[in-house]
Amino acid sequence: MLGLAAAVLVLALAAPAAAQESTALPEWPEALRVRGRLAEAFAYRLHDPGDVAKLKTLGWLEGKYTLSESADVRVATRGWYDAVFDATDRYPANVERDQARELSLREAILTLRRTDLEVRLGRQQIVWGEAISTFVTDVVNPKDFREFVLPDFTELRIPIWALDVVYRLGPGVTLEGVWTPDTMPNRLPKRGAEFQFARIPFRFRNPVTRLPDDADEFSLERSEGGARLSVLREGWDVALIYYDQADKSPVFFQRRVPQPPAPDVIVLEPRHPRVHVIGATLGKSLDDIVVRSEVAVTVGKRYETTDPLDQDGVVRRDTIDYLVGVDYTFFGALDTSLQVSQKILTGSATNLTRPGVAGVATTSIALRVTTGFLDDTLNPSVLVVVGADRGDLRVSPRLDWLATGSLTVSIGADVFEGPKRTLYGQFDRNDRVTFTTTWRF
Amino acid sequence: MCRLALVLVFVLGLAVPAAADEAAEIVRDADKFRRPGESFVWKITITSEEGKKAPSVDGFEVYVKGAGRSLVRFVAPPRNVGRSLLALGRDLWIYLPDAGKPVRIPFSQRLVGQVANGDIARADYTGDYDVTLTGEESVGGVACHVLDLKAKTKDVTYAAVKYWVSKDGRRPMRAEFYAGTGTLLKTGTFANFKEVAGRTLATRLTLVDAIRKDRTSILDYGDIAIRDVPEKYFDKNFMKSLD
Repeated sequence: MLGLAAAVLVLALAAPAAAQESTALPEWPEALRVRGRLAEAFAYRLHDPGDVAKLKTLGWLEGKYTLSESADVRVATRGWYDAVFDATDRYPANVERDQARELSLREAILTLRRTDLEVRLGRQQIVWGEAISTFVTDVVNPKDFREFVLPDFTELRIPIWALDVVYRLGPGVTLEGVWTPDTMPNRLPKRGAEFQFARIPFRFRNPVTRLPDDADEFSLERSEGGARLSVLREGWDVALIYYDQADKSPVFFQRRVPQPPAPDVIVLEPRHPRVHVIGATLGKSLDDIVVRSEVAVTVGKRYETTDPLDQDGVVRRDTIDYLVGVDYTFFGALDTSLQVSQKILTGSATNLTRPGVAGVATTSIALRVTTGFLDDTLNPSVLVVVGADRGDLRVSPRLDWLATGSLTVSIGADVFEGPKRTLYGQFDRNDRVTFTTTWRF
Repeated sequence: MCRLALVLVFVLGLAVPAAADEAAEIVRDADKFRRPGESFVWKITITSEEGKKAPSVDGFEVYVKGAGRSLVRFVAPPRNVGRSLLALGRDLWIYLPDAGKPVRIPFSQRLVGQVANGDIARADYTGDYDVTLTGEESVGGVACHVLDLKAKTKDVTYAAVKYWVSKDGRRPMRAEFYAGTGTLLKTGTFANFKEVAGRTLATRLTLVDAIRKDRTSILDYGDIAIRDVPEKYFDKNFMKSLD
């Protein structure tokens, strides 16, 4: 029903948009914009056995065709080939199949506009939130964690087929509605991958069968949607969000299957329980300080538990995620961003197994410092993220050299420390140095 | 005698506000050479030079409406294409394709070379500064008024500006930009006055760093179109689709 309403809305917009085309149709060479980039990314794993961990050639190509002032079409693709799978035999075949090469449609959007209304229909990223490098209210798109959270966030987000309607209600007040039948979950690394997540520490004496996570990606029945109301008043930028979705991360429900005379088999079935995300974001400039904050309450969130008395091995813990961040530029040259975030479970955290959950409250502190030399053509930066309760950390220093207007050369490192089953500690032996060249056209 | 004294008191009482009014009027007239209209679009090319290094060139397309509202689209070099900057008074957002969303940044953050965000996003001084007429000087052989501009609020890029405006025609000629501490930050020179849409505009501003004199940024204004810019251009929720 919602899909039908969406189609009617798009068709209603399309007619006037097409009508306006005749008056403002640009010549096609001016109407077409093409740009892209090519990158060569190299990573070397420092821990024994030190070896090449990435030898990736990536290409992006995107085009935008402006049909009129009221309509345009965008298409973007991304492809890569990672030669590390040919250069080494460290990774199993399933990882090679999953990560060695890829060609994907990153964007295919028809945008229609009519005065204060804008409709974007197609494959896209819909990004909510004020903060940088975090997903508290960035809940619409699933994420690709095959290289953990190390790539840029636009690369981490998996585009979805969706309808995104933005309506400007008045000066500084905008209402956005999103609907999608594309219920794709987060993409996780395969077993044996460089950034394979630590497996849930089940201690079963019985044999265990893990079912595949193969729910249909498209489903009208399980379609997702939500809304965001954004208000800007006196420099206070406040947004309220609601999103109804299937949990993007699988939750492994347990059941016992009798196999007489053999012992029962424990079946682990990945499911994506329905969750309701209610949240708010805030942004404000106070003189030279920028303050930002986000909060999201996830109702219906479920976690795996190792409690042997729990029937299905899963408990519900509605979860509150929030962050407060401050940006300030020291000495007119040192851009500094500090973010403190916390995950709070509404209930006991005993026996829960998620690497990112340390207890009822899990606190993280992130600091990013960036500066520029030689007229900002040499830009060192460092990102430090500390799990205050877990005792793990990530340090990612990087140096970007803007060699020309088109060519950027970057060297960097990603260092992880901490106990084995913590978010960053699980990659304690994956410390790496990186070298990337990017050419844009 | 008594009547004469009364007239003198009256005249002196009016003199100070009258001088302030004249100073404000001079700045208002000079601003007209730096702003084509209430709502307009123009392209700004910034050529930054530092010593013997090869100059770098950055291109921007700027949409302006009313006071303090502007959208800056980055059009060159290729590494910056896709970025945009939205200024609504003191509030500033940058859209970075890598982030996929608008991100708030401090107004004081540098844009490129010697150019602050405010140099691009705000084109006039009227309304932002209290003005005092301090004297007269010659700039390049042109007789000029000298004005001291003090920021009314912290919501502007520079705490103070010393401004030279030609006596004949009230054209902006030169400006010195100061920090709140009184430190001279940079010097600006206005040039290349051209007729655009029935109005004379300064189409070049050269900024020179006060300490490193070999650091300069030349702002060239071109492709000027006076037209009504839609309101949604000044809404951060539409920044992505304007890319």
